[in-house]
Amino acid sequence: MPTASALQFSGIAKAYGPTRALGGLTFRAAAGEVIGLVGANGAGKSTLMRIVAGVTMPDAGTLEIGGAEIDFDSFSPEQARRLGIRIVHQELSLCDSLSVAENFYVEQPGRADLDPRWLRRYHRMARDSIQSIFPGHGIDVRRPVSDLTLPQRQMIEIARAACDPLLRVLILDEPTSSLDGLRSEQLACFIQDRAAAGVAVIFISHKLQEVMSIAARVLVLRNGILTSDTMTGAISVPQMVAAMAGEAGRELEQLHRETVTADTRILAQINSPWSAQPAELRAGQIVGLAGLEGSGQRECLRALYEAARGAGSPGLVCEAAASYVSGDRRAEGVFPLWNVLKNATIGIAAAKPGISILHEASEKRTAEPWLAAVRLPLERLESPIVDLSGGNQQKVLLARALMTGADVILLDDPTRGVDVQIKRDFYRLIRQAADTGKLVVWYSSETIEFVECDYVLLFHAGAIKCTLTGNDLTEDAIVDASFSDKDLPSAVSQTAAATSSSAFRVMPFLTAALMLAVIGLLNRNAVSLLGIDLLMTAAIPLALISLAQLFIVGGSEIDLGVGAFAGLVSVISATFLVTDPALGWLFLAFALAGYAGFGLLIQLREIPAIVVTLGASFVWLGIGYTLQPTPGGAAPDWLAALAAFSLFKVPASVLCLLAAGAAATALNMSRLGVVLRGFGANPQSMVQSGWSPLAAAASRYGFSGLFGLAAGLSMTAINTASDINAGSSYTLLSIAAVVIGGSALTGGRITPLGTLFGAISLSLVGSLLGLLNVSTDFNAVVQGGLLIGIICLRTILVRSAP
Amino acid sequence: MTVLTRMRDHRWSFSVLGVLALWGLLSVMTSHFNLNSLSGVASSASFLMIVAIGQMFVIASGSGNIDLSIPSVITVSAFVTMILSQGTNSGLLLALPAVIAIGLVTGAANAFLVLKLRIPAIIATLAIGYVLDSATLIANRSLDVFTVSTLLRGVTSAKLAGVPVILILASALMMVAGGIIKGTTYGRTLMAVGQNATAAHLAGARTGRTITIAFLASSLLGAVDGALLSAHAGGAFLQMGEPYLLQSVGAVVVGGTLIAGGSATALGTFFGSILLVLVVTTMQVSGWSPGMQEVVQGAIIIAILAAAGSGLSRRSA
Repeated sequence: MPTASALQFSGIAKAYGPTRALGGLTFRAAAGEVIGLVGANGAGKSTLMRIVAGVTMPDAGTLEIGGAEIDFDSFSPEQARRLGIRIVHQELSLCDSLSVAENFYVEQPGRADLDPRWLRRYHRMARDSIQSIFPGHGIDVRRPVSDLTLPQRQMIEIARAACDPLLRVLILDEPTSSLDGLRSEQLACFIQDRAAAGVAVIFISHKLQEVMSIAARVLVLRNGILTSDTMTGAISVPQMVAAMAGEAGRELEQLHRETVTADTRILAQINSPWSAQPAELRAGQIVGLAGLEGSGQRECLRALYEAARGAGSPGLVCEAAASYVSGDRRAEGVFPLWNVLKNATIGIAAAKPGISILHEASEKRTAEPWLAAVRLPLERLESPIVDLSGGNQQKVLLARALMTGADVILLDDPTRGVDVQIKRDFYRLIRQAADTGKLVVWYSSETIEFVECDYVLLFHAGAIKCTLTGNDLTEDAIVDASFSDKDLPSAVSQTAAATSSSAFRVMPFLTAALMLAVIGLLNRNAVSLLGIDLLMTAAIPLALISLAQLFIVGGSEIDLGVGAFAGLVSVISATFLVTDPALGWLFLAFALAGYAGFGLLIQLREIPAIVVTLGASFVWLGIGYTLQPTPGGAAPDWLAALAAFSLFKVPASVLCLLAAGAAATALNMSRLGVVLRGFGANPQSMVQSGWSPLAAAASRYGFSGLFGLAAGLSMTAINTASDINAGSSYTLLSIAAVVIGGSALTGGRITPLGTLFGAISLSLVGSLLGLLNVSTDFNAVVQGGLLIGIICLRTILVRSAP
Repeated sequence: MTVLTRMRDHRWSFSVLGVLALWGLLSVMTSHFNLNSLSGVASSASFLMIVAIGQMFVIASGSGNIDLSIPSVITVSAFVTMILSQGTNSGLLLALPAVIAIGLVTGAANAFLVLKLRIPAIIATLAIGYVLDSATLIANRSLDVFTVSTLLRGVTSAKLAGVPVILILASALMMVAGGIIKGTTYGRTLMAVGQNATAAHLAGARTGRTITIAFLASSLLGAVDGALLSAHAGGAFLQMGEPYLLQSVGAVVVGGTLIAGGSATALGTFFGSILLVLVVTTMQVSGWSPGMQEVVQGAIIIAILAAAGSGLSRRSA
C-alpha cells in the first residue's frame, strides 16, 4: 500500500448562495493511488476540482497537498501548478492555430532558453511525451492543432499535462470521451505506470465500466457528500449508480424494442454515399447512429437535418419536418439571454412567417404541457435559462423539439454530461415520442445508450457498415463491430487542407510579382532602380500600417483607428518634432500609450474592438485636427536624411520594407509571438495555462502601435509635411493587405511577409491604374474589388479542399 | 439599489437620463435655448434615428455584424436624388425608385458577402462602402443641380402643430421597429440568431433570411435618409454621410442595444439618437473646435461601451 499522502481534504465545504455544492468533504489520496470519482451532474465534482486547481476558495475545511497545508488566501492556479497539480479538462483547451509543439510551450514555458532554435526542444519534448502514452500516435508535432482530429487533440491534451516533470496529482476529467478502445487502453496502461511512479491519479468519468477497470478505488459523490468510498472490487456498477442517484439507481431497464415492420410510413432514406444499400427509416422507430467517434455518424445526422430543411444533402432524403436536439447546449442549444419559456417556444415561433404577431399568453399555454411532459418544474418558466442545470436545460431543448410537431426528431448526443436520473427520463420520453409515430434518429457517444434503440446503423470511415437489430443489438455487438477494422479515418482531409493553405501562402507574392511585371511591360522605366524606389516608397506607409493591423487581426480583432493613429503621429512628427523634439517625442509616447490603453480597455471590459477603435479613430482625428487644422509642417532633418539613405545602391524604401518584414517575422516567431497567437486562437486556454490576458492585449496593441508610429513617421518623411486625414484611407487597405497576405481573420494565424507583399500589391494598384490612364476615382473600386475577389477565391479553395 | 437594478433591466433608461441631464445643462448655459432650437435638435436627431434603426437591426443580428456602408449609402443616395430629380417634384418619380434600388442592391450585396462568402460584416460593408464612394466621385462630376424638390423639402422642414414632420416620421418608424422587435416572429428570430446563430439554425430559424432582412433594412433606411438629407442640406456634397458612421453605431449602443447582438431596444435607440445630437449641440453652443467635438464623440461612445460592457459576461454563465 502506498503511504505518502498526495492530497488530503478535511471538511472541505463550499456553498453558492443557498445552494450547497460541497458539504464537508474528507478524503485522502495517497501517492501512487488511482481513484475513480463519479457522481451525477451537480454532485460537486467540478467544484472539488476547481478548489484543487486553485480557482475556487472553499468556505471551510483544509487541503493538504503533498503533506503541506494550503493557505487558501494565497492559493492560485499558478501555485497549484507549481505543487504538481495538473488537470485535463473535458472541454479541450488546446490553441487551434498553434502547432502541437507550440502548445507544449505555452503550457511549460520554463523550458525555453535563449537559443534562437528554442522551438526544436519543444518538438522533441512533444513527440516524446505523446509517444510515451500513445505509442504509434503518428501525430506530426509541427502541424497546427486545427489540422488534427478530435481524438488526436485529446491525446495531445493528455500528454501535455501528464509529461509535466513536477506532476504529483493528475486529474483527468472525462479523458476518454473521444478516444477509441485502443487509445483508451493505452491511456489506462499509462495511468498505471504513472501511479507506480508515485503520482496520484483522479479519474472522473460517466462511463462507470471504465472507472471500474482503471481505478483501484472509487469515490461516489452525491449532492456534495461522499456516499461511497470503496475499493473497486467491493462495488458493482448498479451499486455505484445507486450511490450516485439515490432512488433513481435501479437496474438499467431494457425497454421493449419495436420489431422493424414494413407497413409504417418511410420518413427518411439514407443512400449512397452514406450507405451502399439504401436504408429506410420509418415512423415509430428509434434508430441509433453508432460507430467509433468521428466515423461520420454526427455528420450524417446534421446532413439529415439539412435534407429535411430542403437544403439538399447528397444521398439523403427526408421529406418530413425534422427538429434537432443538440447535446452541446452552450454552443448549439440555448439562447443565454432568454428565459425558459422563450427558449422553449423559439422552435414554433421560427416556423411561422416573419410577420406573425406573437402572443406571450398563448405561447405559454402551448409550452406548458410540453414542459410538464419533460418534467420541468413549471415555476421555472420565467427563470433565465442559464440558471438551470445542464440536465434541465436539455429538457427544455427536448420540449422545444417535441413542441414543433416535427415527425422526425434528430438527437445529437443529447445526454452528454447529464446525470443518471435525467438520462432515464430522456430514454422514456424518446420511447414515448416513437410510440406516437415519430422517427427518432439518435447519435450518442455512449455505446450503452444504443441498447435503447430499435435498430442501429453502424458507421465506419464515413459510411454505414452494417445494421444491428433484434437480439443482435447488444452493447458488445456494437463494440465488436466498431473495432473489427482498426484503421482510423483521418488522414485524407489533412493533406487536402495542407495543399490549399500552401496556395494561400504564395498568393500575395505572386500577386505582387505579377503586378510589377505588368507595370514593367507598360512602362520600362518603372522597373528601373529609381522606378522601383518610387513604387516602393509609395508602399511604405500602407505596408507598415498593415503590419500594425496584422497584430490586431492576430488577436481576432480589427482596428478601425490605426490609419487615423498614423495620421496623428504624422501630424505630431511634422510639427512638434521639428520645433521642439523633446515635446514631440513626449507627445508620441503619450499617443502610443493611449493606443495601447485602448487595447487594455477592450480586454478589460470585453467590448468589441471594432466599435472602440472606430471611436478611437475620431479621437485621433480630432486631436490631430486641433493640433494642425490645415495640412503643412515639415519633416525633421534626421527623418529626411533617413529617407535619402541607401546601402550598396539599395534605396531606403526597399531597406525599410525589408526591415519591417524582418522585424514583424522575428516578433511572430519569438516566444511572445507564440503567446500572442495563442491568445488570438483560444484565449481561455491561455488563461488556464497561466498567461495574463491583459499583458497580452497591452503588448499586442503596443506592437501594433509601434508599427503605426513607424507608419506615421514614414508618411512625414515621404510627404515632408503632414495631413491628419492622410492616414484614414489606409485603414481598409490594411485589412485588405492582411487578408490578401493569408492571415486568418478569426485570429491566431499570422503571416507577416504575406501581409507585406499584400500591401505592396495594393499600393501598386494606384500606379497600375495611372499607367492605364484610368481615373484615380476608380482606385477604391479596384482595391475593394481586389479584397472581395481574393476572399472569394479563398472561400472557393477552402470549400473544394475537403 | 433597486432603482439601479430596474434600470439595468431596462437599459434604455440610461439614455433618457442622459438626455434630461444635457437638456438641463443646455438650458442653464444658454438663455436662448428655447423650444425653437429644441425642434432643430429634434429634426437633426430624426435623420440619425432613421439610419440608427437599420444599424440596430444589423447589430442585433450578432456575430459582430455592423453596417459600415451607411455613410456611403447616404452620400450616394443624396447625389442620385439631386441628379435624377433635378430639383423638381416630378423628378422624384424617377429619383425615389432609384434611391430605393440603391438601398436594396447595397443591402443585398452586403448580405451576400457576409452570408455566402463568409466575409466578416465589418470588412464586407467597408468594401462595399468604398465601391459606393467611387460611384459618388463619378456622380460628383455631373452634379449641376442646386435646387431641392419642394416636396422633399416639405417633408424635412415642415411642422405639424409645432412638431417637425420628420420627427413624426422617424418616431413612427421607430415604433414600427420596436413592434417588430418585441412582437413579431421576425424580431424573435433575429434575437435568437443574434445570441447564437447555430442554435437558431438548429431550432428551425431561417438564419440567412433573417440576417439578409437586417442588412436590407439598414441600407434601405440609409438610402431614404440620404434622399431626405439632400433636401435638408439643400444639396449633395462629398462625405455628407460621414458623421453617421460613428453616430449610428453610437446611438444604438448608447441606447442599450447589446453590441454583441441578441438584444435590441428601439426606445433606447430613439433616446440614444437624441442624446448624441444634444452632445454635439452642447459642444457647438460652447464654441468647441470641430476637432475637439470629434474627440468627445469618440470618447463618449468608448466610455459608454466600457461602462456597459458587452453583455457577454452573462453568456458565459
